[in-house]
Amino acid sequence: MLSQQLLLVIQLLQQTCVFLVIAWLLSKTPLFTPLMQVTIRLPHKLTCYVVFSAFCILGTFLGLKVGESIANIRAIGAVLGGLLGGPSVGLAVGFTGGLHRYSLGGPTDLACMISTITEGLLGGLIHRALIRRGRVDLLFQPMLVGVVALAAEMLQMLIILAVTRPYATAFAVVDSVALPMLTANSIGAAMFMRLLLDRRAMLEKYSNAFSAHALRIAARTEGLLRAGFNEANSQKVARIISEETGVGAVAITDREKLLAFTGTGADHHLPGTPITSEHTMQAIRDNRVVYADGNEVAYTCSIHSECRLGSTLVIPLQDADDQVIGTIKLYEPKGRLFARLNRTLGEGIAKLLSRQILTGRIEAQKALLTQSEIKLLHAQVNPHFLFNALNTINAVIRLDPDRARGLVQNLSTFFRKNLKRPEETVTLADEIEHVNAYLQIELARFGERLKVEVDLPYIYAQVRLPAFSLQPIVENAIKHGTSHLLGSGHIRLFAEAGKKADTLLVHVEDNAGLYPPRKTAGDGMGMGLVDRRIKARFGSEYGLEVAFEAERYTRITLTLPLGSVDA
Amino acid sequence: MRALLVDDEPLARSELRALLEEDATLTITGEAGNAIEAMQAINQQRPDVVFLDIQMPRISGLELVSMLDPGQMPHIVFVTAFDEHAVRAFEEHAFDYLLKPVSAERLGKTLARLRKTSATAGEAAAPPDYSLLPGQRALRQLPCHGHNRILLLPLDAVESVTARLSGIYLVDTAGQEHFTELTLKTLEEKTPLLRCHRQHLIHPDQIAEIRLNDSGGADIITRSGQSVPVSRRYLKPLKESLGLG
Repeated sequence: MLSQQLLLVIQLLQQTCVFLVIAWLLSKTPLFTPLMQVTIRLPHKLTCYVVFSAFCILGTFLGLKVGESIANIRAIGAVLGGLLGGPSVGLAVGFTGGLHRYSLGGPTDLACMISTITEGLLGGLIHRALIRRGRVDLLFQPMLVGVVALAAEMLQMLIILAVTRPYATAFAVVDSVALPMLTANSIGAAMFMRLLLDRRAMLEKYSNAFSAHALRIAARTEGLLRAGFNEANSQKVARIISEETGVGAVAITDREKLLAFTGTGADHHLPGTPITSEHTMQAIRDNRVVYADGNEVAYTCSIHSECRLGSTLVIPLQDADDQVIGTIKLYEPKGRLFARLNRTLGEGIAKLLSRQILTGRIEAQKALLTQSEIKLLHAQVNPHFLFNALNTINAVIRLDPDRARGLVQNLSTFFRKNLKRPEETVTLADEIEHVNAYLQIELARFGERLKVEVDLPYIYAQVRLPAFSLQPIVENAIKHGTSHLLGSGHIRLFAEAGKKADTLLVHVEDNAGLYPPRKTAGDGMGMGLVDRRIKARFGSEYGLEVAFEAERYTRITLTLPLGSVDA
Repeated sequence: MRALLVDDEPLARSELRALLEEDATLTITGEAGNAIEAMQAINQQRPDVVFLDIQMPRISGLELVSMLDPGQMPHIVFVTAFDEHAVRAFEEHAFDYLLKPVSAERLGKTLARLRKTSATAGEAAAPPDYSLLPGQRALRQLPCHGHNRILLLPLDAVESVTARLSGIYLVDTAGQEHFTELTLKTLEEKTPLLRCHRQHLIHPDQIAEIRLNDSGGADIITRSGQSVPVSRRYLKPLKESLGLG
């Protein structure tokens, strides 16, 4: 009898092994991730219920028929469900597993159902008790789990004895299955927990390594690409990534060319050369990660047939609008596998670098804005003109104090107009007032060397144009034109109706012919800007034109809409 | 002390004149309204000091300095209304300069300093090294006087230069002669023109042929067919600079 019982112990332990193998396989899936901690949230509890109910049923399924009852390992699922999910999950798992057992019938069906529910509840109650005492750590102790399973099984035996009738049948069942089930369930439950613990330890190690790499790369590349997305900075970043990930090679590209390459194959993957890899082009075109493992997706180097690189991962770098601005590529040589860690890490690095490049661009834009603000201020203050004007007035005070007072008035009119916001539109009369204030001072300054002729019919006085359109052009005509003449300079400012209906042409002409049309000149308040502002305001048929004959004349013509009188 | 005023703005000159006239020890020899007039006045009047505006038509004050013969350089006091770049250079090399509008006090200090230097060092005072100034690059345009007018002759229009008793003449590719205030020495130093004779310079790109003669010298035939003598003394250095040596 005893030998028969021992045989059953061994047989049931074999079944337990099968059970555990299935558990081990499942532990490789994400399904197990929520089971590795004490579950609090509903989705986790649900997973917990589903998984352990399945194991509960599996426990019954793998059981051994002994007479009319089943020597089983159902308790493992019920107890673990309770321990990890709490009383509610324990109860639910026990109920599901119990119901399944009940459906199989036999003399002990009712007892087994009740006891399975009790087992789940027991696990749940211990879960609650330990949580209340703040001893969560004990929950994951395989020894404790084994003891709980042992107690649960003992409870089951008692319930069978108490519920099953006739008592003789109950006793016979308990007598034959008690030892195998007590042994298999406690060992099985303990080992199941051990399995969960190992899995958790491995994941932690994996994510620790991941975090360490990611943090080190983040720290070491900090600010590098912010200073500019160029070859020199990319090369530094590529080297750091290569050192930290240990991949075969690392490349960084922009949309057109290779910016940096380090590692295997650096002799023919030369920075500055255009992109030739089909995978990279695809990544840029489709804005997605392209992985050519060299196995399912073929990879051959597009540059050199004897390149030792055998697989590549291309990850796009994106700007704020998710547009591709380049790629980062990780390679492994032939015969080496791409570590999954590096694939995930690669995507993280791409995000990090994208962010850095973006920050850099924003900073550069800010700097540019500040620069153009300074430029505008400079144009408003116009220091060269100001000091020359002061010098002129200084001289006139000695010669003709009344005229000097007039010039001071002109100077203040000029600066008052200069300090207006340039986005406003003004009437031609306003603009002429600005020009006149300016010209009065220049006329005093250059004396006999400058003659100005203004012929603007009064009917055009109310035509509107962007502020600062005319004065800078007159100023250019003197500054870059007549002031460079050894002889006398002439400026003509006149207006006429355009050939096209409802247009007005305003001409500014000098007799120097010294400055060729340079619309793109970086001069802050230059002609290019005047042209753009008129076009932006009135449309592309209006704007600024330059007629020029070397040493004879430069004539700037503004074409304005006449109809804007009432605008 | 004799002073020349150079500024293209008449009011600026009159103001400076009014300030300088308060100093009894100073005589104003003349005024010039541009760099070419100034060069002429410097050569004729030989002033001790030139008050020189920087911003002037065609040839700036800084360029004018580069056209003057370092051996006959008067003392220069630069005058400017606003030129950060030049002022930085003046500060750096301790050149005299005045900011417009000129204050009487500052002008007084400058004059005091000028008197001190000329008194201690006398005629032997070494002129400051004006080649340290910005804008001292090679000359591209050569100012000269035509009939009744001032002309800026592009360097590449010059075939040769001839020195006569009456002055220095630029000979252009059409064979026309233009009087210039520039000295042979300045032309030799500040342009690619090469010395071929004590009295002649030649533009290397205009040489068509060099004909050696019996006396050990040679004659250059220019592209336009003119002949320029090469003396024995300058033949070898000329051939060397042409890469024929």
